[in-house]
Amino acid sequence: MKRTIFSNQLLPWLLLAPQLAITFIFFLWPAAQAIRQSFLREDAFGINTSFVGLANFEALWNSSQYLNSLKVTAIFAVSVTVLSMGAALLLAIAVDRMMKSTRPYTTLLVWPYAVAPAVAGILWWFIFNPTIGVLPYVMDRFGYDWNHVSNPGQAMTLVVIASAWKQISYNFLFFVAGLQAIPASMREAAAIDGAGPVRRFFDITLPLLSPTTFFLLVVNIVYSMFETFAVIDATTEGGPAQATNIMVYKVYFDGFVGQNIGSSAAQSVVLMLIVIALTVIQFRYVEKRVEY
Amino acid sequence: MASITLDNVGKVYPGGTRAIGDVSLDIADGEFIVLVGPSGCGKSTLLRMVAGLESITEGEVRIGDRVVNEIEPADRDIAMVFQNYALYPHMSVRQNLEYGLKNRRTPKAEINRRVEEAAGILQLAPYLDRKPRALSGGQRQRVAMGRAIVREPAAFLFDEPLSNLDAKLRVAMRLEIKELQRRLSTTSLYVTHDQLEAMTLADRLVVLNMGKVEQIGTPLDVYRKPASAFVAGFIGSPAMNLVPARAVPRLPGSAHAGLLGFRPEDLVIEPDGPIAMKITAVEELGAQRLVHGEVGGEPMTVTMSPQAELSDMVHMSLPAQALHRFDEKSGRRLD
Ligand SMILES: Nc1ncnc2c1ncn2[C@@H]1O[C@H](COP(=O)(O)OP(=O)(O)OP(=O)(O)O)[C@@H](O)[C@H]1O
Ligand SMILES: [Mg+2]
Repeated sequence: MKRTIFSNQLLPWLLLAPQLAITFIFFLWPAAQAIRQSFLREDAFGINTSFVGLANFEALWNSSQYLNSLKVTAIFAVSVTVLSMGAALLLAIAVDRMMKSTRPYTTLLVWPYAVAPAVAGILWWFIFNPTIGVLPYVMDRFGYDWNHVSNPGQAMTLVVIASAWKQISYNFLFFVAGLQAIPASMREAAAIDGAGPVRRFFDITLPLLSPTTFFLLVVNIVYSMFETFAVIDATTEGGPAQATNIMVYKVYFDGFVGQNIGSSAAQSVVLMLIVIALTVIQFRYVEKRVEY
Repeated sequence: MASITLDNVGKVYPGGTRAIGDVSLDIADGEFIVLVGPSGCGKSTLLRMVAGLESITEGEVRIGDRVVNEIEPADRDIAMVFQNYALYPHMSVRQNLEYGLKNRRTPKAEINRRVEEAAGILQLAPYLDRKPRALSGGQRQRVAMGRAIVREPAAFLFDEPLSNLDAKLRVAMRLEIKELQRRLSTTSLYVTHDQLEAMTLADRLVVLNMGKVEQIGTPLDVYRKPASAFVAGFIGSPAMNLVPARAVPRLPGSAHAGLLGFRPEDLVIEPDGPIAMKITAVEELGAQRLVHGEVGGEPMTVTMSPQAELSDMVHMSLPAQALHRFDEKSGRRLD
């Protein structure tokens, strides 16, 4: 690699300035604000603020709504991750088998990723809409009553599918690349060693794919916890009866709609800690555990 | 232990590439056969057809007296050593060796016995608990061999197993493979593009060119009596001189229209010899010297002793028995 030496001490900082400014304005500054506000409480009219210590966090811990949100988030994140990674892996294996015809197939699968999550959400909202949607109509025909506006389980199913769907193509690309990186001779050697296709998959392919799988695991959990805001907002808005009110959405709802800034700030600090934890795990384990 | 028979075997890849056309070959039980030929001639394809990794378009492959065309690789009772070794990187050396036996539900005690034995033969005992990435290239090569040995198969298939080793290690491993095969007397089919490796290892050579067999024979037979101009030019180092007869009008066979072949080491330096070569380049190899030049517009090479004096020209003669004649069109040997 080529190393550039700057004779001017200022120039490197100037070159970095735009990036640093963006990081500061859009990340560090709001983060600091959130941390500060999580220790404050405003009165009902937003006139007086007072320092309340950890009271906002304590309130969260005692709020059944927040604990419910934690549970909903966990169910949601696990479902989205399992669904999107599972589906992507199945597709990737199918494609890896007939790699000749890859090009058109892969490009076809990339496009949903390009569609913004909101559009994906609205699309799903339309498909599933109890009054005008296609799917409820079809399901009604088969004697199944679809209504995610009033049925919590169905609402969850809807947002899980909508969120996972968008992530499949991203995961798929990584899985295909991961599968392609496994030398064909490895599987051939296993075939000669008497391992059938299923055996080969679990003994050879899956372990060799584990770095990709672990990376995607973290990416998908982070995605489902933070980037699915638009999907929820466009479809269920956290309802019915808090059934799809995941943590990010609750931060937004309590802060902007409910105007409870202190609680909302405390919630975002909790989220921040979760992201930091996930990042640490990723860096630690990607190099240690998932090697072979 | 088993014989391997190929009957008019052919291979066309999907997409229409013909890789193998009409190859017939009888490999006796315990024989070491080397498939040799230039890159892209179809050596790997043929080997992989025997292994079951590539479908057989035409003809029949038999291992023992069983037709294996439709039989899975696992059930053909063969073991293969790959060019990149294809060791399982997430398994220890021991697990690599055991894998094929475990899949076949070999009893634990038997597995241990075979692994210990193979590790002893290949001097792998100290490394059994290491992962492949913690081994040198030569050690990895041994593990790949070990994985084949523990299976105690009817036949070994090798696809350029030494090509990733440095020159010195390659020579050492070559001897070891030969020694090992003699000891186990397991039928072996070995692919290489290195003619020296082919000559030293083979009981019989199969020279392939563009998917067709050019010649089958013992290394010495092939060396002494190449069946075609292609074989003549491929086997032997430095390569045989191949010139149109008209370029060397004073040679014994030159009355004949066709290609003349003679090895650089068979030319005799003689002050008034019939062949006068204009020297263009000299390669010093230490024990001998390779002198390249031109005769009648055709390139030619001769080996000389490093002591000999060099000028611009060198005069040579050729003993009649050192001359090979080939048909100019078909390249087949004329006797
Ligand atoms: N999967 C494939 N699909 C189509 N053509 C192929 C395929 N594999 C090999 N070929 C073609 O078949 C011919 C023989 O290939 P093969 O790999 O057997 O050569 P080789 O003699 O082993 O060469 P090398 O010494 O370079 O390994 C080549 O022309 C190659 O391009
Ligand atoms: Mg090859």
